[in-house]
Amino acid sequence: MMDLFGLDLTIINDVVKELMPIMPQVILIIAAIIVPVFGYGKRKGITAWLSLAAVTSALALTIFLIYDSYSGSFLNLFEFNEFTGFMMLIFMLVLFLVVLISLTESENRKHSGEYFSLLFVATIGMTFVAGATDLITLFVGIELASISSYALVAFRKNDPRSAEAAVKFLIIGGVSTAISLYGMSLLYGMTGTTELAAVADYLAAGDFTWVYIVAVIMLIAGFGFKLALVPFHAWAPDVYEGAPTPVATFLAAGSNKMGFIIFFKIFLIAFVAAQTVGGVPELQWLFAILAGVTMTVGNIIAITQTSIKRMLAYSSIAQAGYVLIVLAVATEYILAGGLFHMMTHVFMKGGAFIVVAALCARGIGEYISDYKGLAKRAPLVAAAMGLFMFSLAGIPPLAGFASKFILFSGAVTAEGTWIWLVALAVINSALSLYYYARVVKAMFVDKGATTEKIRVPHSFKFAIAICAVATVAMGLYLGPIMEICEAAAAAFFAMV
Amino acid sequence: MEYAWLIPVAPLLAFVIVGFFGNKTKEGGGAIALGSVLIAFVLSILVSYEYFVTSGLFDSGEAYAPAPFQWLVFGDYALNFGIYIDSLTCVMLLFSSFISLMIFLYSIGYMKGEGARKRRYYAEIALFLGAMLGLILSSNYLEMFIFWELMGVCSYLLIGFWSYKHPEGDAASEAAASAAKKAFLVTRLGDVCMMAGLFVLLFAFKSLDFTTLFDPAEIANVDSGMIILGSLLLFGGVIGKSAQFPLQDWLPDAMAGPTTVSALIHAATMVKAGVYLVARSYPLFIQSADVMLVVAVIGGVTAFIAATMALNNMSLKRVLAYSTVSQLGLMIMALGAGGYVIAMTAGDYHASLGYTAGVFHMMNHAFFKALLFMCAGSVIHAVASEDLRQMGGLSRKMRITSATMFIGALSIAGFPFFSGFWSKDLVFESVMNPYASGLPAGDIFLFLFALALITAFMTAFYMFRMWYMTFKGKPKEAAEHCHGESPKTMTVPLIILSLFAVGSGFLLFVGLNDIITFSVIGGEFMVGGNGKTAEYLFWHVLENKWTYVSLALSLSGIFLAYLMYSRRIINPARFNMGGRSGLYRFLTARYYFPQLYDQISLKLGYGVAKGVDYVDKNLIDGTVDGISNAISGSSDTMRKMQTGNVRNYAAIVIIGTMVLVAVLFILVRFGGV
Repeated sequence: MMDLFGLDLTIINDVVKELMPIMPQVILIIAAIIVPVFGYGKRKGITAWLSLAAVTSALALTIFLIYDSYSGSFLNLFEFNEFTGFMMLIFMLVLFLVVLISLTESENRKHSGEYFSLLFVATIGMTFVAGATDLITLFVGIELASISSYALVAFRKNDPRSAEAAVKFLIIGGVSTAISLYGMSLLYGMTGTTELAAVADYLAAGDFTWVYIVAVIMLIAGFGFKLALVPFHAWAPDVYEGAPTPVATFLAAGSNKMGFIIFFKIFLIAFVAAQTVGGVPELQWLFAILAGVTMTVGNIIAITQTSIKRMLAYSSIAQAGYVLIVLAVATEYILAGGLFHMMTHVFMKGGAFIVVAALCARGIGEYISDYKGLAKRAPLVAAAMGLFMFSLAGIPPLAGFASKFILFSGAVTAEGTWIWLVALAVINSALSLYYYARVVKAMFVDKGATTEKIRVPHSFKFAIAICAVATVAMGLYLGPIMEICEAAAAAFFAMV
Repeated sequence: MEYAWLIPVAPLLAFVIVGFFGNKTKEGGGAIALGSVLIAFVLSILVSYEYFVTSGLFDSGEAYAPAPFQWLVFGDYALNFGIYIDSLTCVMLLFSSFISLMIFLYSIGYMKGEGARKRRYYAEIALFLGAMLGLILSSNYLEMFIFWELMGVCSYLLIGFWSYKHPEGDAASEAAASAAKKAFLVTRLGDVCMMAGLFVLLFAFKSLDFTTLFDPAEIANVDSGMIILGSLLLFGGVIGKSAQFPLQDWLPDAMAGPTTVSALIHAATMVKAGVYLVARSYPLFIQSADVMLVVAVIGGVTAFIAATMALNNMSLKRVLAYSTVSQLGLMIMALGAGGYVIAMTAGDYHASLGYTAGVFHMMNHAFFKALLFMCAGSVIHAVASEDLRQMGGLSRKMRITSATMFIGALSIAGFPFFSGFWSKDLVFESVMNPYASGLPAGDIFLFLFALALITAFMTAFYMFRMWYMTFKGKPKEAAEHCHGESPKTMTVPLIILSLFAVGSGFLLFVGLNDIITFSVIGGEFMVGGNGKTAEYLFWHVLENKWTYVSLALSLSGIFLAYLMYSRRIINPARFNMGGRSGLYRFLTARYYFPQLYDQISLKLGYGVAKGVDYVDKNLIDGTVDGISNAISGSSDTMRKMQTGNVRNYAAIVIIGTMVLVAVLFILVRFGGV
């Protein structure tokens, strides 16, 4: 019995122990409440630094928990294990990068407190999705993330494009939420429970009644919105283009991944559970078709884009198509590959968006033609951008190559006939080189109108450097990160 | 040998140093690049010495393959980084590093006037060479593929070196940029094939290590269909990289780069990588006679087509480029024919003649082609033109260049006792072999043999046409302001290489035929090795009657060129009707291959993209518009308030959902998956 000024201190110990699984979130929650308060003070710069401190400590704690192989659950609604930890790591990294580049973002000055607070709330939502064990937690997490994102997209209040994007995002998001909620209620009606494990068992039974089909499709359609799967992708390019670039970074690198977790939690678990009886081939085929269509449409439309943000948006759609292969194949190994690809995608796509944001902040336009002669004006930034582009296209020895290789090889080696899907994916990645190389060509080959040097703000430089180093390092030496991915995949499979 | 990995590391390190600090050193880092290749060459000699002499591995025909560094382990698969040394590796290492040494030395003189951009040049060629040496030493296909791609990138950069500020003006700059792009994209097509091949092999063998893939026991366990598919896909990579039919067209365009780069690509690196891949993959390729037949036919057709294109070309470098394509065709054809014989002969096979011929020709070709290119570079350096019509009479002003180029031309034409003579006649004989030994499909090989003979005639003709037009006759405009012989750094490598162009054939005499062999002994594959020699090839060539036929054809080719372009007894214009004849234009237009490529890629690639864009913009959006209009007939006022599009999006979501229901229903109902 510890005792201080008459207070029973064990209670603190108990509280910490109980809250441990959601400790990183607790840090963010506290920050989300405190930071806006400082936004009303005289020195608004402090909000940014406070936010950075909060996210850094949350990130550090997450890494510590992963390192410690910690696992625990909170109120039977949230479970922290290697998988949750890995996904939280991704979200925290994205948040860290976004907060970092927002340090000098002048456009958010006026409401910077709210801006950071919304970022935190959105991330909290995503992390709860990562650990959800129940449909309700899952749904609440998704909505928390979505509603904050709508507000974030609209953050550049004076820019009509930003407002328009937010309205579109909101409407389509609302429609999708409605659809997915129908799906969930049908599921609940049929199973009588909201526990994900029970839902998975039900899905695994593959009892193809009309209600079953409608419920499944409603879920796919509703959550397909988050992932921007074709044909639920139409919002993405408009929103990425209209949103403030740091927010676009946040959506493309982070929020996108939340969609995968939902699919993993609802469907992948079901497929794995059903594997002993041959899986649910019809649904797996459906996902294979979705994957093929998504990557192909995304890549092909990306070719004709002139705006770099739209191009990156379509490329995100295509990358989502690659990761969707995981659901079709449904083995532990390919899940590790998919997680690895999600991790590398954070740095490649995040890095590319950060470069765009950095150049935006210095008055460079968002069209590929505006990047002409960039190699002369900002050589290091151009080099980093080239790296991200090549990595996204999957050129060895960069991270994008490694993760695509593992992802595709996972499909090749798995039971079943997924070779066609891999062939399609390989053709797609060859195709994608075209539009990535176009950016590189504009930067390095084409002559620009001016050769005036561009000075990128320090916080951007730092963020770009982190992404570039990660892009190279994870391609060259993927042992450690693969171990984490494999552990995460194993933990996920252990949930079955 | 355990330090063999340092060989590629030296140039790669030079790339980093020159790339960052080149401008602070003399000659833009040229000395550092030169030093690194010297290190690589010396190390190659040491490694080869150890392999052949002290290790004893050579005597048993084994490869030195230490446990590799495990780069990636996942499930049952492991991707490794390691080294694999057998006699093929040693031969490749020696000649590529030696020729690169000569080219780097020559570059010091050739690139003198380039100013600050020398840094980029030296950094890139060092990287290029590093990639080639790494490829040669690779112990598995993935590692090889990585270096293979790295070389692709380097070739892109180097061919486009003059993509701005070309010495010959803006038009030439644009040509350089487009040639670089073409080289990259066309070889990329092959690379995609090769990558698919890697997947197939990985799927079949659960590994990409040579030690596993070339193990007869492992091969026996694998479905032969997978090996055939894998081999063909790998060969697709070769077609791209080694500029074989129908992807031969990028190589002549690649002449837009500096001549030294052409020499590097054609003689020591890049295109040789394709031939090396075939030789390296022999244990897999010989599993099917059909694969080898494809290889041989592609090679033969390439050799012939490229030679015809060289007949009337007016650019000094392009003639050489076509001749490279043609010679590569010969190598591939020899490898194919040799492998065909092994594949057809079940059981043991002693020292494949085709293999020896192909690899030996690759080595000899490296010497004389490097020589020819560097001579061409020396001429271009002096007269600042590539157009044969503007030259003439240069032999008086540039004695060394003219003499060494004459040697190179004699060698490639197959003049007796020059290096080309030996290997070319071995190639011919190896192609004749399947017919002579009465194997099935022997007729095809007889046809290929005929093509090869015609190619030999054409080769002799166009090489000497080029030589006479350049060095003999009356000096034309460009030749007028030639300022004499090139500097020593350029002529010394020429002289050294010309010695090899004369003499490297005699290496057969001192036992090279023991080294470049491929045998199947007791079911095991062996590369090189004592006691498993081919027949005594040196005398073999002289005893073969076909040698004299091809020799007669070559000599008549030389003689014809002499009559037409030196003595001018026969007027070339009579053949081409002053450039108006259909055949002439057909050849100048390179069989219309470039147009074909353009058509295919434009129609197919861009067309598909545009089509899909059209569908997305008009069809999908249009349908959606129609439906949403029908649903909410008169909402013009609201439409002005909103953007309109968002309803389309919502409609897409709804329609998509319905489509998915339908798809799933179909899958459940009729899928049978």
